[in-house]
Amino acid sequence: MTRFLIRRLLGAVPLLLGVAILSFIFMQLAPGGPDALFARNARMSQEQLDAIRRNMGLDRPTHEQLFTWLGNLATGDLGISYTQYRPVSAVIWDTVPNTLLLMGTGMLISLVAALTFGILAAQKPYGFFDNVVSFVSYFGLAMPVFWFGLMLQILFAVRLGWLPSAGMYSATGGGIGDLLRHLALPAFTIAIGSIAGWSRYVRSSTIESLGQDYVRTARAKGLAERKMMLGHVLRNALIPFVTVVGIDVPLYLTGAVLTETVFSWPGMGRLFYDALTVRDYPVLMGILMLGAVFIVAGNLIADILYGVFDPRISYG
Amino acid sequence: MVDLIPRPDRYGENGPDLETVNGLIQARIDGAISRRGLIRRAAAIGIAAPVVGVMLHATSDMVRGAASPGRANALRRLAQDGGPASAEAPTAPEGEAQTGGTITAGTNQEPDTLHPYVSQTVTAADVYYGIMDGLMTYDSNQQLIPRLAESFEISDDGLSYTFQLREGVQFHNGDAFSGEDVVAVWEIIMNPDFGAFNQNGWDKIEDITVDGNQLTMTTGEVFAPFMSYCGVERISPRSAIEAGIDPFKQEFGRAPIGTGPFQFVEWQPDQQIVVEKFENYWGEPANLDRIIYRIVPDDNTMLVQLRTGEIQVVASASALTAIRVEEALDIPGLNVLEHATQSWAHIDLKQWDHLRMTKVRQALDFATPTQDIVDRLLEGRALVSVADQAPGTWAYNPNIEPRPYDLEQAKALLAEAGLTPGSDGVYEGRVPTDDPNVGDGEVKPLDIELWFVSGNVESERVCQIVAQSWNSIGVKTTVLNQDISTIWGPEGYQFTERMTGCLYSWFNGNDPTDRFYWHSEEIPDSPTGSGGNLPAYFHEYSFQDKIDELTDAADATPVQEERKAVFDQIQELLHEEVPVIFIYWEKAFPAAIANLGGFWPSPFNYLLWNANEWYLTQ
Repeated sequence: MTRFLIRRLLGAVPLLLGVAILSFIFMQLAPGGPDALFARNARMSQEQLDAIRRNMGLDRPTHEQLFTWLGNLATGDLGISYTQYRPVSAVIWDTVPNTLLLMGTGMLISLVAALTFGILAAQKPYGFFDNVVSFVSYFGLAMPVFWFGLMLQILFAVRLGWLPSAGMYSATGGGIGDLLRHLALPAFTIAIGSIAGWSRYVRSSTIESLGQDYVRTARAKGLAERKMMLGHVLRNALIPFVTVVGIDVPLYLTGAVLTETVFSWPGMGRLFYDALTVRDYPVLMGILMLGAVFIVAGNLIADILYGVFDPRISYG
Repeated sequence: MVDLIPRPDRYGENGPDLETVNGLIQARIDGAISRRGLIRRAAAIGIAAPVVGVMLHATSDMVRGAASPGRANALRRLAQDGGPASAEAPTAPEGEAQTGGTITAGTNQEPDTLHPYVSQTVTAADVYYGIMDGLMTYDSNQQLIPRLAESFEISDDGLSYTFQLREGVQFHNGDAFSGEDVVAVWEIIMNPDFGAFNQNGWDKIEDITVDGNQLTMTTGEVFAPFMSYCGVERISPRSAIEAGIDPFKQEFGRAPIGTGPFQFVEWQPDQQIVVEKFENYWGEPANLDRIIYRIVPDDNTMLVQLRTGEIQVVASASALTAIRVEEALDIPGLNVLEHATQSWAHIDLKQWDHLRMTKVRQALDFATPTQDIVDRLLEGRALVSVADQAPGTWAYNPNIEPRPYDLEQAKALLAEAGLTPGSDGVYEGRVPTDDPNVGDGEVKPLDIELWFVSGNVESERVCQIVAQSWNSIGVKTTVLNQDISTIWGPEGYQFTERMTGCLYSWFNGNDPTDRFYWHSEEIPDSPTGSGGNLPAYFHEYSFQDKIDELTDAADATPVQEERKAVFDQIQELLHEEVPVIFIYWEKAFPAAIANLGGFWPSPFNYLLWNANEWYLTQ
């Protein structure tokens, strides 16, 4: 197991390096640039424009910029943001815990809801409850985040006045209770899409497990229905599900952009979108690298969880 | 010394000497003579014309809209029944004024940095105007009013400016304010390693001397707008500047220190910036205890939060746009105001193929339902524009009538330009080669790409309306969009060899000069070059020599009456030649809770410029 972990972590290094080089190249190939807004300011002189490009390092050849960036990365220096004039690590670090909190809560809600609905629906396929869950699932999948978020705001903040409409804390500050009240709507919004998708997965893999020989055997030897569901059906049904959740982690990161915007949540998705709009290359590179790390970590955790759910899998 | 506070009562036996530069400036500030009177008198006593320009900036007469009754009338005319009220004076709600309280303002965009010498965003200035003072500042009538300087004096040759600095002023970090702080500001702005965003005015200074409370700035040449740049620059404490370039640029920008009525408390990234009342403020301390500036990126969420009261003020960078006003008027307890802006929406018509022909551009102008766009889409909350100077400003030419919406005229002009409808109904004809107004090249269809910056809902709708109209007469028009860093980058529409239009807005500055939009020297020399004259990138305008001559003349003429005559001609030429299709002047719609008093937004300053005068009523 330890050897497996070390091998995987070492394998991740060239992968991350590849991601770094490729994202740098794609970013340079994309039209436009961080100096576009300056160049099209009618009052900007050519001298001032040149000075701005020099300060950003844009006057040097692309490969030189890349090597400088990689060299700095090796020493842990992600550079200075073009627009915020402070270290990229500080800019990103301000948002990472907030995004992880929102993502984590959203995933937790999705997991609990998807498992509950999926298993219950699988009990009687095409029964009344199953049909209701299916209908709600498709509704959840089809709903645009910005519209659903706005509807939640109008219902819970404007009409009922139960919850704050947006932000992470009240303007005048607040403790953990205040945070949870602000977290409720965005976490539910970010969860709704995957509740829909995931509960369909749980439902179908549960139905599949229920048809297996070992279930019939378990039933035949008189195992309690509940014990059988948790110990045999669910455990087997979870293996493909873990893969799906692992793959969805990056989707959560990208899906966070809209949710974070609608709910003024100070997260990484919004930072990425804002940095993309003004082509703040250092910030974009930093976030892309961190995103790659998250994906590698997500897959690694999924691999480890296979072993937990299925003792037949070994990490030789 | 010229006193910045008007005192009309000082004119008697011992009134100011109307034979000197400063005496005339004082008399004008006090309202004892008119602008015209000042110019006449200055000429009579032999003051050189460039120095008169300097004087008119010092009296705030040179800047747009100042002391113009036409402007106030225009604003009043704009106010509609049942619509937003005109922001002519500070709000004065009924009820007893309270001391203390907190106000939460909202913005769509987080400031890049709160550094006054580095920031490029209006939303940053909205905050640091409450934290930092200048020597002077513009009020919402666009008059210079005193801040760290109590009075000033300009030398007769127009080269040096002496300021009498206020005594006993303290920075938020405890430092005492002195002329040395101003010297340090000049040095850091001019330091090339620092990378200031703007060096305008400061680059004209040759020397600054400090003698007690007198500060003298000496310039190398007469530079008329000097006061409107250096006079209103925010002043940082010398100790912060001397901490080093990187700390000053990075840390100061995240936690600025000034002499303003509010001091910086905290900045929670992507969430909010908090400022609180500074007890040792040199003037009357603020009424409010705290102002919170919340970042709310989504427009719909902003309206929801205005409704729930979580946001209480939006103005300046975050003022509502025309298409949001109807919803905002519906919010109980919200006071929606309006004021004119210096921002004009227009469609660039790139000089390429048929678009080089004046008649084709005129035809497109006839086929653009400008009045309909203003009346229906924007619900009358904008002004139809005919050229590049705003109604209500002194440089505006009121004698130009917009072209009516007339599709028959449009078709007739296209026919005159040698274009005929092809088999698919799309006009086609020979494109010009040497002479822009003669079609003698190959036959091409009139096929135009109409671009807008993605995410701008208003632009998108305007483009759709225009495209529908142009298509209806047989001008093939396709609406396209790109994000802001792409559309203004080297791969943008301006640098493609096609017929293109693009809808966007230019913002006019304090001075009506419009050289950077039209002059041949402002044509970018490459797709990464600077310059605002984008439509002429491939081919100069057929009237390029004439517009060059006029815009040069406007910049070289200091006396306003003569300058206005030049601007009148420029506007006539622009209307005749249609280098771009002028559509509308935008208006801005600030809003605040109805019990906020002292709130006085305008296009001439920033959100917190007078926040020490804000108060809540019961």
